[in-house]
Amino acid sequence: MSLTASRALPEIEYEPYDDRTQLVQLIKGYPRSFTSNPSQPLIHRPVMLSERTGPSGLARKLTIGEDDLSRTVNGDQRAIGQRIWVAGRVMDQDGSPIPGAVIEIWQANAAGKYVHEMDHFEAPIDPNFTGIGRIVTDAKGCYKFQSIKPGAYPVMASDWWWRPPHIHFSILGPSWMSRFVTQIFFPGEPLNETDLLLNAVPDPEVRQRLIFEMTPTTVGRVNGLGFQRDFVLRGKRRTLALD
Amino acid sequence: MPFFPGELVVGCEDLTHFEEKTARGQHILLTGRILEEGKIAVRDAIVEIWQPDANGVLRDPLDPHFHEIDPRFFGWGRSRSNAEGWYQFRTVLPGPLRADGGVPRCPQANVMVLAIGLVRRLSTTVFFHDVPESVDDPTLNCIADVGGCLRCAIRNLILTVFLRTAST
Repeated sequence: MSLTASRALPEIEYEPYDDRTQLVQLIKGYPRSFTSNPSQPLIHRPVMLSERTGPSGLARKLTIGEDDLSRTVNGDQRAIGQRIWVAGRVMDQDGSPIPGAVIEIWQANAAGKYVHEMDHFEAPIDPNFTGIGRIVTDAKGCYKFQSIKPGAYPVMASDWWWRPPHIHFSILGPSWMSRFVTQIFFPGEPLNETDLLLNAVPDPEVRQRLIFEMTPTTVGRVNGLGFQRDFVLRGKRRTLALD
Repeated sequence: MPFFPGELVVGCEDLTHFEEKTARGQHILLTGRILEEGKIAVRDAIVEIWQPDANGVLRDPLDPHFHEIDPRFFGWGRSRSNAEGWYQFRTVLPGPLRADGGVPRCPQANVMVLAIGLVRRLSTTVFFHDVPESVDDPTLNCIADVGGCLRCAIRNLILTVFLRTAST
């Protein structure tokens, strides 16, 4: 490959998802999965430029900067709970950093309660905690925010079960194809073994990728526990040198 | 997608204005319902769209016509369905995409649906009435080959899209 490229065309590749890395669609004990998921095969459509692209400059459209969930905006009081620092890196399938990716975070409070009208769990609201944040990755694809460790909560399905502590991540990357939504869990939680959603991922190695790594306390901050999780978004955005 | 915060939807349903300026083109209301089988409304579904501007240009430098982009049109939006399953966007009627080379593609918007219990997000495309004969579209053709209609090829979650011209 020539280093003196006279013309450079961007090339993006998207590989199909490996089913072992995705949740099974029909989850026993979770009735919503039976009523909400497609019962017929989806149509595979061509990946055109409309799928390979995404809005540039999302940070100009969306309000960025809520990177401290451990208190409300302009709030003096910290939320109750174990204070945590979460950090990581967003990259593509080549391992190249994705700068400017918008990460949206939402989570329950330390008692397992969301600030949401659809949450009917009998647990207290924390007036100093909304559990909502929105940040953007820096030039190296890195992100970080602080929060408090979320609590567990029950799902009121016909066979109810308890969700382990987890944080929701929604990532708006460079393209329509790289849109990413997931939940990340905490290491060593007994409820991880019985959660219907985490265990709906067939591959045990992939399930481990959905769990934070704890930062060694010898290198972490003194005012909160550190957790790390990197994300790989679908696709490659590399420049090919052409003669 | 349980408990997706409404705060993250604020300001995203209106694509006709960006940085307090008004987008070029025909302003439209793109609205519809998210339903489960039996026409049961899905509340709190998150619907996201991505579309070109009135001249068919995508807001991404990968579009060879990016230099022509309407600076007052962002092209991406998000809505949350209400208790009756309705979502809505104020946007502009997209122009024919010219980005893939060859024949211009039909005016269209990509639509993504995320909802509680919907384990994998759904992605589809909506097209518009009165498509000129001078355009063609591989995406539209592949749907027509399978079902002959523009509805998502899924049974339990039916995405209906009604288009209406806004009075403005």
